[in-house]
Amino acid sequence: MSEKLQTLIIEDEELARNLLRSYLKDHPDIEVIGECENGFEGVKTINEKKPDLVFLDIQMPKITGFEMIELLDFKPQIIFTTAYDQYALKAFEMNAVDYLLKPFSKDRMLSAIEKVQHRIQIGEDTSEKLEELTNLRPGEDFIDRVVVKDRHKIHIITVDKIRYIESLDDYVMIYTNDGRHMKQKTMKYFENNLDPKNFIRIHRSYIVQVDNIAEIQQYEKESYIVILKDTAKTKLKVSKTGYKKIKEVLHF
Amino acid sequence: MKHPLTNNYRLLLFYALFWGIIATVNIILQVFWYNVPLTYSLLDSGSNYILYPLLGSSIWYSIRYNSLEEISVGRLIAFHFIAASILCGIWVYISYAIYQPFIYDNNNFLKDGLPSKIFVGYVMYIIYLVFFYAVNYYQSLKEKIKKEGEYKALIREAELQALKSQINPHFLFNSLNSISSLTVSNPEKAQEMVINLSTFMRYSLMHNEKEMVSFSRELENIKLYLSIEKVRFGKKLNAEFEIDAHCLEAEIPNMILQPLFENAIKYGVYETTDQVTITTTCECDGPYLKISIRNDYDSNSIKRRGEGIGLRNIRKRMEIIYNQPDLIKINDHKTSFEVQLIIPQKQPVS
Repeated sequence: MSEKLQTLIIEDEELARNLLRSYLKDHPDIEVIGECENGFEGVKTINEKKPDLVFLDIQMPKITGFEMIELLDFKPQIIFTTAYDQYALKAFEMNAVDYLLKPFSKDRMLSAIEKVQHRIQIGEDTSEKLEELTNLRPGEDFIDRVVVKDRHKIHIITVDKIRYIESLDDYVMIYTNDGRHMKQKTMKYFENNLDPKNFIRIHRSYIVQVDNIAEIQQYEKESYIVILKDTAKTKLKVSKTGYKKIKEVLHF
Repeated sequence: MKHPLTNNYRLLLFYALFWGIIATVNIILQVFWYNVPLTYSLLDSGSNYILYPLLGSSIWYSIRYNSLEEISVGRLIAFHFIAASILCGIWVYISYAIYQPFIYDNNNFLKDGLPSKIFVGYVMYIIYLVFFYAVNYYQSLKEKIKKEGEYKALIREAELQALKSQINPHFLFNSLNSISSLTVSNPEKAQEMVINLSTFMRYSLMHNEKEMVSFSRELENIKLYLSIEKVRFGKKLNAEFEIDAHCLEAEIPNMILQPLFENAIKYGVYETTDQVTITTTCECDGPYLKISIRNDYDSNSIKRRGEGIGLRNIRKRMEIIYNQPDLIKINDHKTSFEVQLIIPQKQPVS
């Protein structure tokens, strides 16, 4: 290896950062270029410095390591670290990514680095794998928030604030009371991960929060629209199967 | 099931006493009222009130193995008729074998009594039958009640066992990771933390689920827990206690507070980058100790889903221990979250 791996540590606990730094200190192929205490800093630093390798803690304040990956424009090699998180572990195993279970030994960490070096050598692209990882829902729970980034600001939207979601090719537009946010995710992802008691896929292009529906109107014979509870009285098309689903959830 | 008479000496005594009294009254009546010779009267009473009760005690086995529920009425009657006939036969035979040497004169008191004696034998069989059925019913009822009580106690214990807070593995592994880091940078502090962690673990393992501890003991343990977490979170975690000294003697279920602090850290400290204060206050007026734990939280990043499993378990555990609902109150003040525990006291604290 001619050049050292530019490495970033993202970890909220100081002691855990200290340990990683001391493990990495005299590694011949690693140069630690920075440390971040939370996911917000992490997104900013990764997009700015474009490191080769990131040690990423899963559980951090504000946004989790997984949520942070969703916000990255540039996807480096990632070694996840976590103390105990059954869901994360399941996701790791399903997706064969590198992870370290805290507390981990220096040897264990070195072998993880070796794997990363090998992947870089053979030029394997891991961004797709990471993308997939963030789409997995290994637990039974539905998501309770969505993290989005507009230019330079990160927003955390709790799902109760979502009015509806519109599909835009490879992206979705999430409409809240405060505005709208674009996110690179599929409609299928939201359909699977939002509680179907509260969110209905009414159309190929729309998912609506149930409480936000003001009216359902017949538009033509066998075709319907919903009118939302907002000042603009937004009208959304309803497909045949969508209409069935609304009937099921609202019991009419 | 054992024979009630051999199994229960008090019942045996009453049985003997009962027949003894009847025999005595019978002898007195026969001798002084009907002028029956004493020998005859003794023989008659001995046959009726000593021999029959001895033989009749075996009727227990005939009801024990012929449950009323499992056998048809016709078969039951047939069975008992045969059993009664055999019993009567033996009884009459032994009685007359004993009588034989005494039947020497013309007094027909014993000799002529044969038909009525057989009749009495059958009637007595029925009386014994009813008596033993009653005893049997009473015994199985008692046993059932006892077993039910045992089951209930077992279930209660199992429930409490499940509800008692377990050490969160997340806490354990993160603490171990902190120790691993400290062994490199600050071995003395690492040692201190190992000892604190051990003391805390020992406390949580040592006490069983029913045990009560003093509030001061529980509070000590909480401070230990917070000192371990403080190593991880540093300045971010700030704990304040406003405790009246006279409340410290109050009694409280062990490890009931720890899950509340764990929640405060999980939702308060863990989810924010700012400092979070956990404030613990208490008041003890009369029969209750009221403990309130309050923490700030960032309502923008998490949607608190009301009562999680931790709080639900504490509520359930309090309900089982005190047999009273609503001993836990939850208040969401939007920027802070407060849990109040109301702990009934056996002796009022003042």
